[in-house]
Amino acid sequence: MLLSVRGLRVNYASRAGVVRAVDGMDLDVPAGSITGLVGESGCGKSTLGRSLMRVLPEAGRIAGGQVMFEGRDIAALGEAAMRAIRWRRLAFIPQTAMNALDPVQRLRAQMLEVLTERGGLRRTAALARAVELFRMVGLDPVRLADFPHQFSGGMRQRASIALALALAPVLVIADEPVTALDVIVQRQVLDVLRDLQSRLNLAMILVTHDMAVVAYACDRVAVMYAGRVVEAGPVADVLERPLHPYTMGLTHAFPDVHGDMAALVPIEGSPPSLIDPPPGCRFAARCPFAQARCVAHDPAALAYASDHVAACWRADEAAELRGLAATPSTWIAA
Amino acid sequence: MSALLEAVGLRKTFRARGRLVHAVEGVSLAVAAGEALGIVGESGCGKTTTARMLLRLEEPTEGGIRFDGADITKLHGNALRPFRARAQLVFQNPFDALNPRFTIRRSLTEPLRNFGVAASEHRERIDAVLRRVRLTPPESWLDRRPHELSGGQLQRVVLARALVPEPRLIVADEPVSMLDVSVRAGILNLLREARDALGLAAIYISHDLALIRYVCERTLVMYLGQVVEEGPTAALIAEPAHPYTAVLVAAVPVARVDQNRAALPVRGSLSDAPPTAPGCTFRDRCPHAMPRCTADTPALRSISGDRRVACHLGDLP
Repeated sequence: MLLSVRGLRVNYASRAGVVRAVDGMDLDVPAGSITGLVGESGCGKSTLGRSLMRVLPEAGRIAGGQVMFEGRDIAALGEAAMRAIRWRRLAFIPQTAMNALDPVQRLRAQMLEVLTERGGLRRTAALARAVELFRMVGLDPVRLADFPHQFSGGMRQRASIALALALAPVLVIADEPVTALDVIVQRQVLDVLRDLQSRLNLAMILVTHDMAVVAYACDRVAVMYAGRVVEAGPVADVLERPLHPYTMGLTHAFPDVHGDMAALVPIEGSPPSLIDPPPGCRFAARCPFAQARCVAHDPAALAYASDHVAACWRADEAAELRGLAATPSTWIAA
Repeated sequence: MSALLEAVGLRKTFRARGRLVHAVEGVSLAVAAGEALGIVGESGCGKTTTARMLLRLEEPTEGGIRFDGADITKLHGNALRPFRARAQLVFQNPFDALNPRFTIRRSLTEPLRNFGVAASEHRERIDAVLRRVRLTPPESWLDRRPHELSGGQLQRVVLARALVPEPRLIVADEPVSMLDVSVRAGILNLLREARDALGLAAIYISHDLALIRYVCERTLVMYLGQVVEEGPTAALIAEPAHPYTAVLVAAVPVARVDQNRAALPVRGSLSDAPPTAPGCTFRDRCPHAMPRCTADTPALRSISGDRRVACHLGDLP
């Protein structure tokens, strides 16, 4: 396993108390595949990405657990050791490409800075590499002379992918890389990511709130809810035979462009506070299938099929629950 | 069915850095009470400018708009007030659409006061609209402020604020794009219910045909300021007549494993300089372009009772 997260806990200090943004998270990312990390706002998916890069905001800190990457525990590395692997072994693509790009510098200068200062290349080699990187992401190398504001949204996102790949990392974390883009550009950027993943045999974590993006671009998926992974496995298994009611809900929550026109089913309510999370399953308050044990005791994540894990007391009954979950009335709060 | 809102030949030209930008080039549309019309296209296609003209937040450079039989194209200031109460915009971003210091009560009272509704009616109207957007019981929401609400709850308040003046038309520009997938369906369902219960005319603007299909019977597809296809949403998705519509349909990801991963049937990007007239503005990106596409500009023509397309494909010269 290229990356293995075990029992990770990440806390934010806030006036109201300690927010347990990631609270006992396990995640495995195999080499050479795209893993989708899906969940709603505040579930901890972006915090996980920032923790892996060790670029948490000031109020955040890793409070426990392990992040094993290429034989080392990133959670415990000093900043100097971390700087040696950031960009070189693992890299980051932010949601808003403007956050990765410097608005007052030409793209060429930005690429050269990473390639020479961090990558130690000489200027001519760095220039050749910058041209190669632009071609790889489908940008005309002539555009290296441009400033970011001369690019469209999709071109900026391609440029930020090129920048992330500059020093040939083995793991790329992309935080909502297509959320701000129109459907056509979104599809083109996802195609660039998939193409690069297979050509360079990269591993990628694609953070998104959209199950359809996972279905299109990912090999594996981990579904996060309230700071933890509630279900994980190969995309085909998780989408076709979801074991966790939250995953079942997500698959019925948004319209399909071709499917039947059944009424959509929102998941009513909101996730629990992560300052003082409830003792049992964190989804219990929104779950149409919750029982007494779900409220009282936290279910452990167990494998129910080979390589398909879920944390739900009723995962054994998933086949039956899937049928009920497809009916809108199931989800209407009593 | 007579139209509540009808626009003919809308054009909007902006001056940017000394150059003229043709944001909208001749859009005509009509929407009847109880009907939902979708306008779909990418950023920069002119869909938002079109919506702003329909709501008279922009004045058209050319063309006319009639609302309930009256010409509103040139109205200004006080003369527009009755129209403003009857045609409401649902904002895209619930996180900045509400004044953070206002209670929900105040956010919903302001429009009533602006449109001259008697104070004695305020409470009843506000309670009714909060029930309509399922923020119940209303009294438990009235004194909350935006920071106490989730994105989905905020968007319900934004929708309530649009509905409280009892409009006859609502225009929603990407009404759920800022929300989590898990709560989007709730907002779309509320919009559908409100339209059915109140007989509203609705115009939805989005880049996402899956969303448009869920809420709109009829759809216009816009490309570079022009309508390139128009028709019943289901038919337009099942059998796109314009090659650009086909691209928009193919680009929508679906939450299934067996989806089409074939390359999109399009070249280049919207940001490339569009070809100049005459001819079709999509021709450089179109997999079906023929010599005629450079010679003649395709006009919007009828291809069956209720479908129109601006494309030479299948049109015998």
